[in-house]
This record gives sequence, structure tokens and C-alpha cells, in this order.
Amino acid sequence: MERSFFSSDYFPILIQSVVAFGFVALTMTVTHYIGGKRKRIHTLRKEENFECGIEVKGNARFPFSVQYFLIAILFVLFDVEIIFFYPWAINFKEFGWNGFLEMLLFLGFLLFGFYYIIRKKALDWD
Amino acid sequence: MSTIISLSVLGVLILAEGLLGKKAWHLPTILIGLLVSLALTLSGWNLNLHYYNEMMIVDNSSVAFSSILIFTTFLIFMFAGHYYRGVQRPLDDIYAILIFALVGSVMMTSFGNLIMLFLGIETLSIALYVLAGSHKEAITSNEATLKYFLMGSFLSGFLLFGIALLYGASGSLNMDEISAYTVREAAHLSPMFKAGLFLLIIGLAFKIAIVPFHFWAPDVYEGTPTLLTAFMATVVKVASIVALFRLFSHCFPAIRETWETTLWILAVLTILVGNLTGLYQPNLKRMLAYSSISHSGYMMLAVLAFSARSADALLLYAAAYSVATVTAFGILILVRGAKGNDLFTSFEGLGRKNPVEAVCLTIALLSLTGIPPLAGFMAKYYLFATALEKGYLWLVILAVLGSAISVGYYFKPIISMYLKEGEGIKLEAGFAYKTHIVFLTVLTILLGLLPAFLINLL
Repeated sequence: MERSFFSSDYFPILIQSVVAFGFVALTMTVTHYIGGKRKRIHTLRKEENFECGIEVKGNARFPFSVQYFLIAILFVLFDVEIIFFYPWAINFKEFGWNGFLEMLLFLGFLLFGFYYIIRKKALDWD
Repeated sequence: MSTIISLSVLGVLILAEGLLGKKAWHLPTILIGLLVSLALTLSGWNLNLHYYNEMMIVDNSSVAFSSILIFTTFLIFMFAGHYYRGVQRPLDDIYAILIFALVGSVMMTSFGNLIMLFLGIETLSIALYVLAGSHKEAITSNEATLKYFLMGSFLSGFLLFGIALLYGASGSLNMDEISAYTVREAAHLSPMFKAGLFLLIIGLAFKIAIVPFHFWAPDVYEGTPTLLTAFMATVVKVASIVALFRLFSHCFPAIRETWETTLWILAVLTILVGNLTGLYQPNLKRMLAYSSISHSGYMMLAVLAFSARSADALLLYAAAYSVATVTAFGILILVRGAKGNDLFTSFEGLGRKNPVEAVCLTIALLSLTGIPPLAGFMAKYYLFATALEKGYLWLVILAVLGSAISVGYYFKPIISMYLKEGEGIKLEAGFAYKTHIVFLTVLTILLGLLPAFLINLL
């Protein structure tokens, strides 16, 4: 069936846009006027991070070890390789011995990579 | 295909040597392995092999360009021993990633399917993101890798989106079928195809560093360790240009008028902006970055004027450009090693203290300028001649103008070396290093005197 659209079909979208923008504009203007007119006072205490009433110690911005990041990325790398096994397993019979040997080669490369990261101590926590 | 397999095995071999802790074996293995790969590549000459449902097509042009890429990498690795002397960290990862990057560039010269093009570019780029940051302690290296990675991954998206749109319009990723589609639909090409084509141009233009997608190049080149910058400026540049050339000469000749003007404008912009900005660079490394940008502009001429002869001209140009640029980077490594920087003032007095190095750098820069009888002149001559044959008169005039402008910056280090009195530095180049530089210079001269050796191949 040939489908055709008229500009009137887009009218609900126009209404939606007007309501969305109107709501933002309205709330911003109204809160500006009905909100309390208090002078903002900057004190050290007020600008502190909230720490459940306990005094904050030290700075939050300091370098820390990214060991977890490394392990996560290696996990993703080896996890994604499994995707290759699915299409291969489905076509296993058609591929025959040739396909089997090619997969062994692929696995060889993969395991070499695994061996490499173990020997390079990428998985050691410290 | 045998090239790709042998190079991948070479990379894994280097990693295995790294595990065994045999650091001294790396360079001999790599140099021998690269020569073996080169021989395997050349053995595919005239065979015209097709692999995996036309995914890879190893024809003569891909054999020729792959050989140039592998040979250039060989030339760069000859500097590696000197460059990394005294470095305590294991080097197997850097060397292996460099070899894997080379695998990507070989894929870019022999793809028969757009997926393989994308895979090649990504193999090359991801390796390069790592290599650009391989000097971890240097803040400039960190800056280079972050800049390159953020922009490169963003622009890869453009490339992939372009490929997807081409697939949506033509229904195939195979180059022959896309070509057949363009012949069939040339009169009324769908807007989707055109959009895909231009996204593809943008993605490739970023990788080649064509103006106005070149802004990353100088910063990244400057921050990257110099040896790897040499690889970026030669192998990566040539591989990307060849990918563009292969894509346009196989896929889109029938719809020439669609992309002709765009590429024309990009080429002119690249030549003029690259050369004019090159005049204002304070040091040799940034200058070579702009030099590489403007040279990619010249090589765009071959893409525009494609024919069997323009492939020949591109081959000669790529060879001449690579050899001269590697020579210049070889001297740059020495000067940076001795002085700690590569400002033009660092070259003062070099002509008297190190006559051999000074002469070699001079010849390399003259070749890049295009002074006869050096390789750069013959390459430019053939390239401009093929463009003229196709009737690109104004393009050639602007390109010659660009070459004339480039004299302004290529002569800066030459003037510093010979005409300025400086305290002078003694470059600590070993005998092997010096021999290699002289060999490269002889190669530049030979390519200029006997260009017929490369010109009637394809």
C-alpha cells in the first residue's frame, strides 16, 4: 500500500515540542520569581563535600591503580573471541578437517596471547 | 595473502622472543623476516590471486605497493637499533605492534571488499594509537596518542557509516559489484550512495591527513617517538593513499563527475595549505609533518587522473617520497639525540662538523622539493604529466606553484647547516648507521637516474 504523509500528520509532534520547551521555560521563569530572595553566602563548610557528618580527609582527586581496568579489558577481549566459535560450530560438518585445522590455528594464536599476558604479569594484582 | 600470514607470524615470533627475554634477537629476526615477506610478496607477481570470495585480490598493483611498504618498514627498522639503544624496557611489544600495523597497511593495498578495507584501516590505526603513546614518560607522547585516538576513532565511524550507506544503496560490499552498480545507475544515482561516497572520502581523507582533515597530523607527528613518526609519515601515508587510489579506480570510475570536483578542491587545498603552513614551522619534525601533508596532496593527482600510467606514477612517487622522508627522519633522530631538540638553529654548523650527514639530509630535502636529477623530480614529473594528459591544467599549475613555495621551508635546514656559524655538534652515528643513510641517499639518486625501473611495471 502506498503510504503518504501530510504535514497535518506531524501536528502532534509540534504540540509535543511546544509543551516540552514551554515546560522548561515556564518552570525556569516561575522558580526564578517565586523562589526566596536570599543572599548566597559562600562558606568553607557549605562548599565541602557531604560525608555523612564526618570530616573530609584528603582529596578525592589522586591517581590510583588501574589493575581492574586492565583485567576487564583483557576479559572483554577473550570473551569476544567466543563469538567466532558460534558460526564455526554451526557449520562444523561442512568445513570438514580443513575448518578444524584452521580453528586450531586460531586457537593457537589466542592461547599464545593468553600465555603472553600471563608471562607479562598483566593478571597479577600487585 | 602469504605476505599477511608471514608478517603476522613474524609479529608473534617477536612476542615469543620477548617472553624468552632474548632482546638481542629482535632486530635480526625482524630484518630477516621482512626480507622473507618481501620475497613472498614478489613471488605473487603476475599471479593475480583471489582469496576468500574476492575478499582479498592480490594483483600486480597490490604486489608492487605492498613491496614498497615492506621495504620502507625494513629501512626504518635499520634505525631502530640506534634509536632504542640504552632503553631498559622490553621492546618486543613496540616492534610486534609495528609489524602488525604493517599487516594492516598490506591489507589496505590488496582489499577486494570494503570490509577488508575497513579491517585494514583499523588494524593499522589501533596499532598506531598504541605506538604514538609508546613513550609513556613523555607528556607530548601522551598528548599525541590521546589526540590521535579520539579523532581517529571518531572518523573511523564516518568511514564505517559511509561503507554502510554504500552497501544499503548497491546491495553489496564487493568492489566489482559496486562498480557494476555505478555503471548501471550512473544516470540516476541514489542520494544514499552519494552520501556514502562522501562519508567514505572524509574517513579516508582523515587517515591520509588531507586538508581540511589534517589538524591532528602536526601535533601527533611531533609527540610520537621519532622512529615511529617516520613510519607514520611514510608507510601509513602511502598505504592510505593507495587504498584511496584502489577504491576509486576500481569502484567509482563510472560516476567520475560526482566526486571529481570534491577531490580536485581537496587536492588544491592540501597542496596550498600544506606548503604555506609549512613555511611557519619552528622545527624540522613539524616541518616534515606539513611536508607529508602537501605530498599527499600531490599524490591525490594520481587518484584524480587514474589510468595505468598514473598507477605507475604513484608507485614511483611513493618510493621516492618514502626513501627521502626516511633519510630525513634518520638525520632528525641523530640531531635530536645530540641536541635534545630539532629547532632549525640546532642544525647550525652541521655542514662542517658532519659533512656526510649534512650532504645526505640536503639530498633528501632537495629530492622532496623536486630538484632534478633526484628521485623526487622524476616522480613529480611523471605524476604531473599523467595529470596533464587527463586535462587537469590548473591543478598542475597550482601543484607546481606549491612545489615552488615548498622551497621556502625545505631550504631552511640546508641554510642553517651550511651558511650559519654555530658551535656545531658532533653527531654520534655508528658506522652501520652512517652506511645506511648513505645507502638511502644513493637510492634517492638512483631512483632519479633510472626511474624506468619502476615506471613501466603496472
